[in-house]
Amino acid sequence: MHIIVQTKNVSKVYQKNGGVPIYALRNISLSITEGEFIAIMGASGSGKSTLMNIAGCLDRPSEGEVIIDGQAAHTLDNEALARIRNQKIGFVFQSFNLLPNTTALENVELPLIYSDRNNISGLAKEALNKVGLADRLSHTPAELSGGQQQRVAIARALVNDPEIIFADEPTGNLDLRSSYEIMALFQELHEQGRTIVVVTHEPDIAEYATRVIKISDGNIQNDTSNNHIRKAQEDLKKLIETAEVK
Amino acid sequence: MKTARIIKSSFMGLGKNKLRSFLMMIGIVIGITAVTIVVSAGLGAQKKVMTRVKKFGLESLMVFAGGGRETGRPSSGQPVTTLKLSDAETIKSTIPAIAEVAPFNRQGGGMIKYKEKSSTAMIFGVTPTWAPVWSWYTEDGDFISDEDNSRMARVCVIAPTLQKELFGDANPIGEQIRIGNVLFQIKGIMEARGISPGGGDMDNRVYVPLSTYMRRIANVDYIAGIKIRLDDVEKMNEVVVDIQSILRERHVLAHDEPDDFRVITPKAVTEFAKKVTGTFNIFLVLVAGISLISGGFVITNIMLIAVTERRHEIGLRLAVGARSRDIRFQFLLETIAITFSGGVIGVLLGFFGAFILRLATAIPVLISWEGIVLGIVFSSLVGLISGIQPAKRASDLQPVDALRG
Repeated sequence: MHIIVQTKNVSKVYQKNGGVPIYALRNISLSITEGEFIAIMGASGSGKSTLMNIAGCLDRPSEGEVIIDGQAAHTLDNEALARIRNQKIGFVFQSFNLLPNTTALENVELPLIYSDRNNISGLAKEALNKVGLADRLSHTPAELSGGQQQRVAIARALVNDPEIIFADEPTGNLDLRSSYEIMALFQELHEQGRTIVVVTHEPDIAEYATRVIKISDGNIQNDTSNNHIRKAQEDLKKLIETAEVK
Repeated sequence: MKTARIIKSSFMGLGKNKLRSFLMMIGIVIGITAVTIVVSAGLGAQKKVMTRVKKFGLESLMVFAGGGRETGRPSSGQPVTTLKLSDAETIKSTIPAIAEVAPFNRQGGGMIKYKEKSSTAMIFGVTPTWAPVWSWYTEDGDFISDEDNSRMARVCVIAPTLQKELFGDANPIGEQIRIGNVLFQIKGIMEARGISPGGGDMDNRVYVPLSTYMRRIANVDYIAGIKIRLDDVEKMNEVVVDIQSILRERHVLAHDEPDDFRVITPKAVTEFAKKVTGTFNIFLVLVAGISLISGGFVITNIMLIAVTERRHEIGLRLAVGARSRDIRFQFLLETIAITFSGGVIGVLLGFFGAFILRLATAIPVLISWEGIVLGIVFSSLVGLISGIQPAKRASDLQPVDALRG
């Protein structure tokens, strides 16, 4: 299978004003293959976000190699990294990071502004359609619920047709029902062939992934495939039924 | 295509921060308004100077009694007595390029009385050549004649300001007025001429025959100056040199002695008039400069704050593939767009202000494309300069730091 992201002995060291060096990551080697749905689990401060940032070319490793789709990302300049982020990677953040006072459509168009593509509003509409927000194109974030905002953010991550989507605590700011909806959407995208990496500290969320990597203190504690994948769509259905009974 | 999209995106951002955009614009609007008014008033003043010089006559020059560099009356209290009527005659007969000479004497603040009314005016003693040399004739009645001069007649010609003061709308011709203690009969009224190159009212005057002036009013044997009209403007410089040598010889001046007269050419008049308006312009330019500079600092500061406030936005843009130069371009563009808009508003307000100024005061203003170009170029320049630092700070952010922010 095609390897999209590979890290080889990646370490990240922070050293403040000549103090004791702090290792956020130590010798991490892992491969992410096309079509995987990975959950990176860990407590806060474990290094899971740092790993995502390095694998997503938002940050550089202190040591080691990062290979994105065959390219040695750790050797590239900032401009080439921006190009990789633009073409191959989609990001979803905990706090959605939508531009305020800007419509859903304009928010989704944002990555395309920096690409060489044409017909950006057509592509953006298509992406919003995929996340079920075709009727919310001209709504601003303030006019959307948290779950809807995160779906706009997912549409934004999808719009460039990336090789991989990184989601950092995507359900961290959402209620249970919206969380199920978002995870159901990720599972649906995964079924369509998308490669997805979700960073989370919630074990429940990790249960929707096909592979779970546990990070602790900058090391990979274990890396297992999930044999009991839960279906977010079913959890959502149960939740709605329970609510109706009440 | 891509650049166009980034530009569009920048402008959208501006529209969404109207208050901030407005605050950033204020200083520029004030500065450019001032610049526009300065340019308009400056051009107006220049035009005014040119019309004044035309009044003086481009083919004319003036010889004044007394040395020194300033135009107008001799600065020392002591009158200079060396310039004589015969000097004027000699100059006329010796230099062929000269068409006509008009010797004159004068005094300011002379008491003029008509019945119980009184006023003050410049009293000029002139010969008939005064009128053609100045291209300045009577509106009504006759000018001073040769016969008036030879008879030492007690006749006078008055100018419009004085006429209005003493007679209102009544016809003064034939009336008797008292200049000092001597009665004069009014034989003509001069055409209005307006403001002199030095800024005085050229219409508050009374003209009498030069001989009468010298004998009956001032009791002197010298003149104050000679207005000279040339046949050929090209010979201006030669004529000035010739006049200087004739007068120095006639006044028996030694080599180390300075001139006891001055020769004023239209060029000197232009320079003098420019000096008068220049002071006003320097003041306005200073106002414009200070407000543009402080406006620029305000913009730099607000933009630096905006960069901090918008760290998440910058981080997001970087995460979705903006290069740092895209970010730099965006912030620089936003700053320039704001100052450019401020410039456009400033130019419009400046023209409006210039228009009000023209209505409200005597300051002449001229609305011109120079003002528009200057205003817009200056404001964009301020935007560029004050935008550099914030744009650099924005583009220096690393994606992961900006997102964490």
